[in-house]
Amino acid sequence: MSAVTCELCPRACVIPEGGAGDCRVRVNLGGKLRATTYGRPSAIHVDPMEKKPLYHFRPGSPVFSIATAGCNLHCLNCQNWQLSQRGGEDMEQIYRVDPPELIEVARREGCESIAYTYSDPVVFYEYVYDSSELARAAGISNVFITAAYINRKPLRRLCRVLDAANVDLKAFDDGFYRRVNGGTLQPVLDALVTMREEGLWIEITNLLIPTFNDDPAMIRALALWVRDELGEDTPLHFSRFHPQYRMRNLPPTSGRILDRARKEATDAGLRYVYVGNVLGHEGGSTYCPTDGTLLIGRAGFWITENNLTADGRCPTCEEKIPGVWQ
Amino acid sequence: MGLVVLTGVVAVLYLTSGLRLVGREGSGWRSLDLDALQRRIDAGELQGREADWYHRSTDEETRTIRGLP
Repeated sequence: MSAVTCELCPRACVIPEGGAGDCRVRVNLGGKLRATTYGRPSAIHVDPMEKKPLYHFRPGSPVFSIATAGCNLHCLNCQNWQLSQRGGEDMEQIYRVDPPELIEVARREGCESIAYTYSDPVVFYEYVYDSSELARAAGISNVFITAAYINRKPLRRLCRVLDAANVDLKAFDDGFYRRVNGGTLQPVLDALVTMREEGLWIEITNLLIPTFNDDPAMIRALALWVRDELGEDTPLHFSRFHPQYRMRNLPPTSGRILDRARKEATDAGLRYVYVGNVLGHEGGSTYCPTDGTLLIGRAGFWITENNLTADGRCPTCEEKIPGVWQ
Repeated sequence: MGLVVLTGVVAVLYLTSGLRLVGREGSGWRSLDLDALQRRIDAGELQGREADWYHRSTDEETRTIRGLP
């Protein structure tokens, strides 16, 4: 028997011949680990950048978004579980889009960015890397939408070809990760620090699940960690939970909880704190942290007004707003 | 009284089966339908591209494998 040990994520799966990793899509065939969904996405869409959500990266631009089957986490509230909790061989729909075709199709669709998203792109790492390398050479940006459950060494290599990431920091509590996601917290924090060191534009999403991770003390601790380790200019998105998959017994997150979380994070010193998944909430827009000027107004994923100057400054006080604006 | 006990038993069974389900997640490797996978690779619907980040397991690592396929 020729087993292999996967070094991609903290699980370090030891996979016997004929078996798959915990992610379902990295398979030991003949003593070699195979990335079975390389170039074979099962989800393809053109989304607005705001849907990722990335609010400080090319706002309003369309982003060509792809995902393959598989995931290395198993969140009880997963919104894409029909994609993430299945192997490639289980999928009804598989598209053949090798990296060169991906760049071609993205460009044909008028997209200046590609997002690796929906499930978790960590598990289709090689596809992301090769595509990103080609995309960069073609002047297309690469954005990585992930839970960042990945080892430092492969991440560092990948960061060289990525431009931005939105990291789903699920809770500031290891017990939550173990119970709800089937993972652990520390590797995610390490990955965030690595991304920052490598110069990626980072935004963070924290989905607030009523009674599970909406405790103000936990939110404050999370915000303080972000401020101290990643910087006060790191955008933080508090996102509204909707009951689904194995968490259909809980109500959607109330506006009161989202507002309270936003206040906690702002009080902790973060300068760009957003509320997501709530149509028309004022917390979906970007304001100047110095004088409160509305910089980018949003309704859902759509931009209603953009008052930033061409070089990304507040039109009133001329403060430079961090982000990638062009 | 019987109905109360029965409800209790069902509740305990439901909860423990849920815990077993969560405990099984992330246990290191999974079995899969190899024939289906091979068929789809042969048809070009999936790939046999070698992955970048792995090594041949050491004897010590191999000994940790449970429930071989």
